[in-house]
Amino acid sequence: MPLDEDKYPMESGRRRFVKGVVGSAALAGVGTGSAMAIGATTNSSGVGGGTTQAMAIENVDGPAPRGMPIIPLTIENGELKGVWPEVTESKEDGQTVKVAETDMGGVTYSTQWFQYCGVQTYPGTQPENDQDNFFRVGSNPAYDWMSDLSAGDKLTVDMFDDYEEWGNGIGQSGLGKPATGRWRSEDVDQTMPIQVIRSPRIEEQAQDDEFLSAATEQGFLAWLNKCTHFCCVPGFKQLEGSASFDAEDKVYCQCHQSVYNPFSAVQTPFVALPRPGE
Amino acid sequence: MSDTDNDSEVAADGTGIVAPDDETPTWRERKERTEGLSRLTYEYFERARREDQDLRIESDYVERDVLAFPTWPHEMVRNLALTSFFVGMILFLASALPPHIGAPANSTQTPAVILPDWYLYWSFGLLKLGPLNPELSLLGGTKLVSDRAYGVVANIIVVGFISIVPFLNKGAARRPVEQPFWAALGAGGVVFAATISTLAVKNLVPMDTHLLFDLAFLLPIVTACLSYAVLKSMREGYMFELNRRYYRLRPPK
Repeated sequence: MPLDEDKYPMESGRRRFVKGVVGSAALAGVGTGSAMAIGATTNSSGVGGGTTQAMAIENVDGPAPRGMPIIPLTIENGELKGVWPEVTESKEDGQTVKVAETDMGGVTYSTQWFQYCGVQTYPGTQPENDQDNFFRVGSNPAYDWMSDLSAGDKLTVDMFDDYEEWGNGIGQSGLGKPATGRWRSEDVDQTMPIQVIRSPRIEEQAQDDEFLSAATEQGFLAWLNKCTHFCCVPGFKQLEGSASFDAEDKVYCQCHQSVYNPFSAVQTPFVALPRPGE
Repeated sequence: MSDTDNDSEVAADGTGIVAPDDETPTWRERKERTEGLSRLTYEYFERARREDQDLRIESDYVERDVLAFPTWPHEMVRNLALTSFFVGMILFLASALPPHIGAPANSTQTPAVILPDWYLYWSFGLLKLGPLNPELSLLGGTKLVSDRAYGVVANIIVVGFISIVPFLNKGAARRPVEQPFWAALGAGGVVFAATISTLAVKNLVPMDTHLLFDLAFLLPIVTACLSYAVLKSMREGYMFELNRRYYRLRPPK
């Protein structure tokens, strides 16, 4: 044996190539193995997700992929109340899944519409969660007119009596009177933010639109106020700066300047995320 | 020290070498102390050196120049020591100066001005590239990638490009004039970082947003072209100056 071959074999292109192949294969193996191990130990099985056809207020500008889902509402003793369908059980792939859906003006209204942006894990989105479904004032109302209301108050029709002339200096007055609030979030940690608007335009549109006539009442329209882009909470006529994005009369998200038109209800298919399994 | 005239002067700057006369002890003699502890120490080290020498001669181990130290334990011990020091510093600072932790974020409300830290504006701006996302007529005017995914992919492309630049050009140039193309690319990149950051805060910039969007992509190109032209035209004069200085230093034979 030549003396200088005892410890360090000669470097050669072939040797470096073999080292590279073996090393990268080992790295890839370790990477794949650990990814699978992490996936297997942290993956929670979910239920009740999948493709759904939501009715949403249209996304007209910005990077958001689709509109924000509309919450059909009814009025009970002058108080606004969101519709939460009766819960039924259905079999899917041999698994019993709770489903809350109903027919709403020719459209299947399903609570899967709200399963995005983490809202699918909120207690309020679970079909069987027992809540009274009234729209309530949230902890930080966004409009000056709501300043004397306290958190948890029900939103009532008489609060919106001046809806035909209301304005706050942003954009055009008389388009409608908005309110922010929460829904199905009493005594739980995670709050579903909603926005309600009472507008003469909605009244007009409801006359010749089957879905809107079923989902709105007296010009009231409500939607889940979670931007479909990166889950911020947008606002209707809440920020002066919305005017530079032609959004002073629309719903504007200040994070990435997504704009939604509340006076345009469109059908938007999307893949609802699964709720955490039982 | 070629001239003989200067020999009589004592050079205090260390340039003159004083030759040892017979009285001066040699280095060997200085080392070989003759008595006491110094003698003992000398003998001990001489003996140890000799034993090492014999062992080296006996063994078939081949001495080589040291190319590097082994990872274990040499490098690892050093790395672990450094790591422990910095972890210790973090723990110490965290316990001595506990950070203020604000109220939890309210997920039902978004602040009116919501921005990342300033050094991430460029990435935030890349999320707002919706108008550049092509609407394909082949697909009936729909977009192949959603604007949301498009912004994320743009981040990957920009970061990827920046990370391959060192592999594209490993030149030894140290001055922009020596490589006008790469210098212009760099200048354009710096301006792009600034404009894309401005695009990220477009809702706060008092300027028409469409103009701002166009400027964000045109200004870097204009800057790159301008700096290329300037550097290219500067190059001749610059090299002349450089050569003149060089030849003054070392005149050609």
